[in-house]
Amino acid sequence: MDSIINTFHIDWKIMIAQAFNFGVVFVVLYLFALKPLTKIMKERTEKIEKGINDAKENAEVLSNTKSEYEKVISKAKNEAHEMFQEGKKEAEIKKNQMMEEAKKEVALMIENGKKSLESEKTKMISETKGEIASLAIKMTEKIIGEKLNGTFDEKTMNELNNM
Amino acid sequence: MTQNKNQEEKELKIQEQTQEDIKEEGHQEIVHEVPLYAEPVFHVGHFGITNALLTSWVAVLTIIIIALVLRSKLKEIPKGIQNLFEAIIEGALGLCDQVTNDRNLSIKIFPIAISAFFFILINNWFGILPLSWFGLIEKGEHGLVFVPFLRGGTADINTTLALAISAVIGANIFGVFSIGIWKTFNKYVNLKVLGEIFKKVRKDPTIVLVAPITFFVGLIEIIGELAKVASLSFRLFGNVFAGEVLLVSMAALVAFVVPIPFLFLEIIVGVIQALIFSILLVVYFTIGASDHDHDESHNEHKEHH
Repeated sequence: MDSIINTFHIDWKIMIAQAFNFGVVFVVLYLFALKPLTKIMKERTEKIEKGINDAKENAEVLSNTKSEYEKVISKAKNEAHEMFQEGKKEAEIKKNQMMEEAKKEVALMIENGKKSLESEKTKMISETKGEIASLAIKMTEKIIGEKLNGTFDEKTMNELNNM
Repeated sequence: MTQNKNQEEKELKIQEQTQEDIKEEGHQEIVHEVPLYAEPVFHVGHFGITNALLTSWVAVLTIIIIALVLRSKLKEIPKGIQNLFEAIIEGALGLCDQVTNDRNLSIKIFPIAISAFFFILINNWFGILPLSWFGLIEKGEHGLVFVPFLRGGTADINTTLALAISAVIGANIFGVFSIGIWKTFNKYVNLKVLGEIFKKVRKDPTIVLVAPITFFVGLIEIIGELAKVASLSFRLFGNVFAGEVLLVSMAALVAFVVPIPFLFLEIIVGVIQALIFSILLVVYFTIGASDHDHDESHNEHKEHH
């Protein structure tokens, strides 16, 4: 043992000094480099993890919103289509109704026209008949008057025939 | 103690003689050799400051400056030096994980391992620096000897011994904090297993044979701890010292070009040795924090199931 100590000049004072040196290195490195650096690295890791998680959540929310939006839009489209179809049907019905009514009215008007025409005709006929009757009466009166007067002749007979 | 005093007196006498000799024989040849031990370059009282200790101080100063520069430039978004150190820390943690298999344990151990790594690395590299060509000329056993001011701190057994002893003691203290003083104590002087002889002898008579063996194994662990100190310190010292001898020899043979590949070799050796020391330190700390009993009882439970 002594020979080893003498050969290598082992000196406990220098050993303590070197151990102290190492201690200083450890404390300085730990306090000034390792501790703050690991803290920063840890915080950054947490931040990045949070960022990634947030991005995932956002993507999910976005996709949900998109699908919901698409649903709403398609629903709205369907509704609009339905409403349009209904409107179309209603319009058709109304149009048909109106057509029918118009036809009816036209028919009615024609009927009325016909009726009034008929009544006018009958009226005219009756009027004419009346007139003819009065005329005939007048003529008869005249003929009769003339005959009575003695002037009823061939000429008057022709007039009567031509009527 | 008396031996040391005598030695110091002898050294003082030699120094006085040297100065006289230098005056008298100014043209004597100066020997460039790397002795096995670090030589004192100046004295503070009776305490001889060796060139290795001086180098270690320079290394400590360098590390402090680097740490302070790093501290002042820490930012949320890393840049330059911070990037480098973050990469180193990530790598170190990854290496620690391979040994410990436990991130929490790695985070506890790696600061001390990385400190050891940088301390040893800077000390190793200072041994290669051409600054060690400045020095004193002293009278040695065979004429004048050149004593450099700087000698790689780890090229002195005192440094490596101090580191190794700190590591092994540190590992055991770490064990005490991790698994408790009783369990750490039982790793070496296994009183628990002796006590179990009386408890379990009826169930399992073979314990009368097994327990003393386990106890003896515990005693061997103590020698194992000493062996750890020896292997850690002499491996590091041997490699770095051999490197310095190699460089001096090569420089003495052919001064130009030839030493350059060896310089690169020594740069690599410096990194490798620092890495080996720190990884072994992590291994010892992990062993210190591991609980043998827990594993065994766990296994027993498994077997029962």
